[in-house]
Amino acid sequence: MKRLYLLLTRMLAQPRSWFWAMSQRSRLEAEMEAELALHLESLAADLVRAGYPPAEAARRARVELGSAVVHKDGMRASLGLRWWDGLIADLRYACRRLRRSVIFTTIAVVSLALAIGANTAIFSVAKQVLYERFAVPNPANLRILAWSAKTGLMRGVWGDYNQLPAGHVGSSGFSYPAYEQLRKQNRLFEDLFATKRAGANAIVQGNAQQVSVEMVSANYYAALGVGPQLGRVIQGLDDAGANSAPVAVLSDDFWLRVFGRSTAVLGQTIQMNGTTFLIVGVNPHGFSGVSGFQQSPDLFVPLGMQPVISPHGSAGTLLTDTDTWWVNVMGRLRPDVSDASVQSVLDAQFKAIVRATMPGQTGEEPPQLQLRDGSRGLFPSQDEFAKPMAVLLTLAGFVLLLACANIANLMLARGAQRQREISVRIALGAGRARLLRQMLVESLLLAFLGGVAGLAVGYIGGLRIPKLMQSPWEHGRLQIHFDWEVFAFTAAITLLTGVLFGLAPAWIAARSEVNAGLKKSATSVTRRRKGWGGKSLVGFQIALSTLLVVGAGLFLRTLAGLNAVDVGFRTDHLLLAEVRPTSQQYPLGKDIQLHQQLEREIAAIPGVESVAAAAYPYIAGEIGQTFFVPEGEADKNDGSQMQYVVDVGNDFFPTLQIPILAGRGFGPQDTPTSAHVAVINASLARLRFSGQNPLGKRFRVGMHPSDSNSGGWVQIVGISADTHFSSLRDTLPPQFFLPYVQWPGVGSMTYEIRTQVDAKSIFPALRRAVQRADRNLPLINVRTQQQQIQADMQQERMFVALTSGFGLLALALASVGVYGIMAYSVAQRTNEIGIRLALGALPRQVLGMILSEAAWISLGGIAVGLIAALLLARLVRSMLYGLQPSDPVSLMAGAGLLIAVALAASWLPARRAASVQPMDALRHE
Amino acid sequence: MGDDKQLDLLQGTLDLLILKAVSLGPLHGYGVLLRIQQISGQALVIQQGSLYPALYRLEHQGAIASDWGESENNRKAKFYRLTTAGRLRLEEETEKWNRMVGTMGAILLTQPEGA
Repeated sequence: MKRLYLLLTRMLAQPRSWFWAMSQRSRLEAEMEAELALHLESLAADLVRAGYPPAEAARRARVELGSAVVHKDGMRASLGLRWWDGLIADLRYACRRLRRSVIFTTIAVVSLALAIGANTAIFSVAKQVLYERFAVPNPANLRILAWSAKTGLMRGVWGDYNQLPAGHVGSSGFSYPAYEQLRKQNRLFEDLFATKRAGANAIVQGNAQQVSVEMVSANYYAALGVGPQLGRVIQGLDDAGANSAPVAVLSDDFWLRVFGRSTAVLGQTIQMNGTTFLIVGVNPHGFSGVSGFQQSPDLFVPLGMQPVISPHGSAGTLLTDTDTWWVNVMGRLRPDVSDASVQSVLDAQFKAIVRATMPGQTGEEPPQLQLRDGSRGLFPSQDEFAKPMAVLLTLAGFVLLLACANIANLMLARGAQRQREISVRIALGAGRARLLRQMLVESLLLAFLGGVAGLAVGYIGGLRIPKLMQSPWEHGRLQIHFDWEVFAFTAAITLLTGVLFGLAPAWIAARSEVNAGLKKSATSVTRRRKGWGGKSLVGFQIALSTLLVVGAGLFLRTLAGLNAVDVGFRTDHLLLAEVRPTSQQYPLGKDIQLHQQLEREIAAIPGVESVAAAAYPYIAGEIGQTFFVPEGEADKNDGSQMQYVVDVGNDFFPTLQIPILAGRGFGPQDTPTSAHVAVINASLARLRFSGQNPLGKRFRVGMHPSDSNSGGWVQIVGISADTHFSSLRDTLPPQFFLPYVQWPGVGSMTYEIRTQVDAKSIFPALRRAVQRADRNLPLINVRTQQQQIQADMQQERMFVALTSGFGLLALALASVGVYGIMAYSVAQRTNEIGIRLALGALPRQVLGMILSEAAWISLGGIAVGLIAALLLARLVRSMLYGLQPSDPVSLMAGAGLLIAVALAASWLPARRAASVQPMDALRHE
Repeated sequence: MGDDKQLDLLQGTLDLLILKAVSLGPLHGYGVLLRIQQISGQALVIQQGSLYPALYRLEHQGAIASDWGESENNRKAKFYRLTTAGRLRLEEETEKWNRMVGTMGAILLTQPEGA
């Protein structure tokens, strides 16, 4: 007990004493001075009393007491101040040294700032994109329901529809009756709620505008645990199937943008798709619905308003439709149940529901229900971004390593220059640990400066990178927050960097021989040993640079390859604009007339060469599929008879300039009352009509065999050339085209407008033309086809931007490294070079000697770098296009570039070596 | 440098001596020195300078506390006194010392076998 008490009191007393000493430093010094002075006086007085004369007494007292300075230092050491004082002294000395060698400091800080900044920026983006979780309580127990089934079993899917291996497809859409059943039978979730994201035409501040809408079930907010910041949320009787109330809740962002956060917004109305909605509340800041983090949907309405917001099918409402799979279902798991048990129970329930709605059709393989993690939303970008982010982080890490190697090299050289100073210090009594500490303080200070600058660079990068990831006409704003995790990451890598590049040179310098350092001349044997360390570092740098340059080359060539893809139609001067008429105002038939009218109006705009509407544009990631059953083929109830289809205007082929290989395209003779015709592309002809002439053959079209749109025969009248379809990387798939005027309704269409002048310049006239037809119709997603294609390459372009930046940085660092080491080597070998020149070597030969030394180091580094590139490139094979990971062009170009840079960097030192005067060199030691 | 070794040995004992000296009443630095000399019967002479680092160390650890007061000849002096923790420490160190002395003594008194 006693011992514990003693320990505790000591532990408490020491810090307090230290703090007092630190804060009252001058008083402390004065007190120490006074105490020692008193001691001296008292001692002298006693000696006088003992009989010594005063002067003698004073002298003896001083001798006996000893050096006051030493005692004061001992007193300070007892208080624990020596350590602190030493640190401050080291810091001041480091500052002075860094200030004196401005060039070194600048190079080091700039390269560190860029490297640390790049790492910070990518880390902050990656963290957000990959790991951000919802701002709702307990996101970890949210689950999303999804299913997978054999292709063709589940026919009407509105929403995500993913091709899975082995002829299966998957989706997260459920039919509304299925959702209601699952909810009724639910025992394992706290609650199941439903949601669907869609777009609508709204009148906002007098302008027609497209808004994004999330339709939610009544229990959505309660289940998520989210409350409003103003007014109320969707609840209870708002969502009652066909009797739902037209109420809307605004997102915080929309409230800011449109209403300027005015509290008078409650009770105001907003028109969407012709229906008036009452605004009853505002979502809390930071809540972005469940679809993802990119941007919150503008408005939240009850799910029962689906027939207004997004009518589908002939009845418009999907609330009673058992065959369309559209609504997303999520739930909060009860804490005591396991995922596996929940999945098996739900799967059984789901299979029963599906069998009941599709009797006899499920056969031996009914659809399977799956449970997915819901904490990151319905469509986490994790899937598409995980690999690219990992690649970027790795590359950024390499750049940091490169910067560290660079600075370590420079510090090694500086350490060698300090040889004499360090030897003097050791001779005067400095301990090795103390020296080591001083040099570490210098590197940490350098790292700190680089880290602070790097934070600024990282912040700017964090703002710019998301812009690289998005297309200019979308308004998603991915916001990167700089939170404490990012700061901690930056601090950690800064510390690591400082230790990494500072420790080895400091260690080497502190272990130096005192004698050798103090002598004026030192043998070059000692120096040569150290030269190896520097050379291998430069070799390492060159290897890393090669790796980064080859990487940049691979992505550059991928982008060039994608850019060079011939999409199959003319892409310049082509403007795309989408129009989405609502089905209340434009029921079946009226929408056809609207599109025909718009086609006429737009064609009349001066500067427009031709225009055609299409169900969706090319290279935009959109597809449409339906059954294509040629005459004579039996109906198979699987997906094998589905083909891509595009409903197009009659001028489609001439507008896009897709060649017709046989027969004809569409024209004015194709009207709503003429015979139904179609054009197929060459791939489809090869696939379904191999060996025969498809012209004149007939086929049936439709989602279900009982679809009211099908039944009639469609005749093939032309074969068009192949084009790329939804992306540049796809394989010219089979497609067929139907003239939209011959079908009862099409809904939204994208207008493809070929212009003679710059495409964007017709935008005002285009908007006027649309407004003439209907003042309340907005133009959506106006962009040129080339911009659309660029967007398909967005990720590749971002990669090229970043990796070429890394590559350039790597080249700069490598050249600095090579220059540094060669300059140092030349300086060390001045003596030797002088001897060579005196013995008759030509300056040319000396030049060659230095250059070949540089070349050998570089070749070694390049070889290692190329091997590493070959190994690592295999990991990014899926991201490349049109080339192998072992692409010889990139490898050769990378190697060539590095050799050129290395030779260029060593040119100056080599010339200096060649112009050495033998007499001066021999005198120099 | 030889003094170094002597100091090392004495550091623990120096602390003990200071604590004992101060336990008999508050003293300033010089006074501690005199008192140690006095109670040892002038048999122990301590290096003057090593005193102050030791005093500061003991104060840092909380075994003694200091106040400013007036010395005999009316000069400002820093007086040290024992704290509670210091008193406990003195007892403990004294006990340890006595035990060590006893053990050493017993060892040194051992006769060779069969002498």
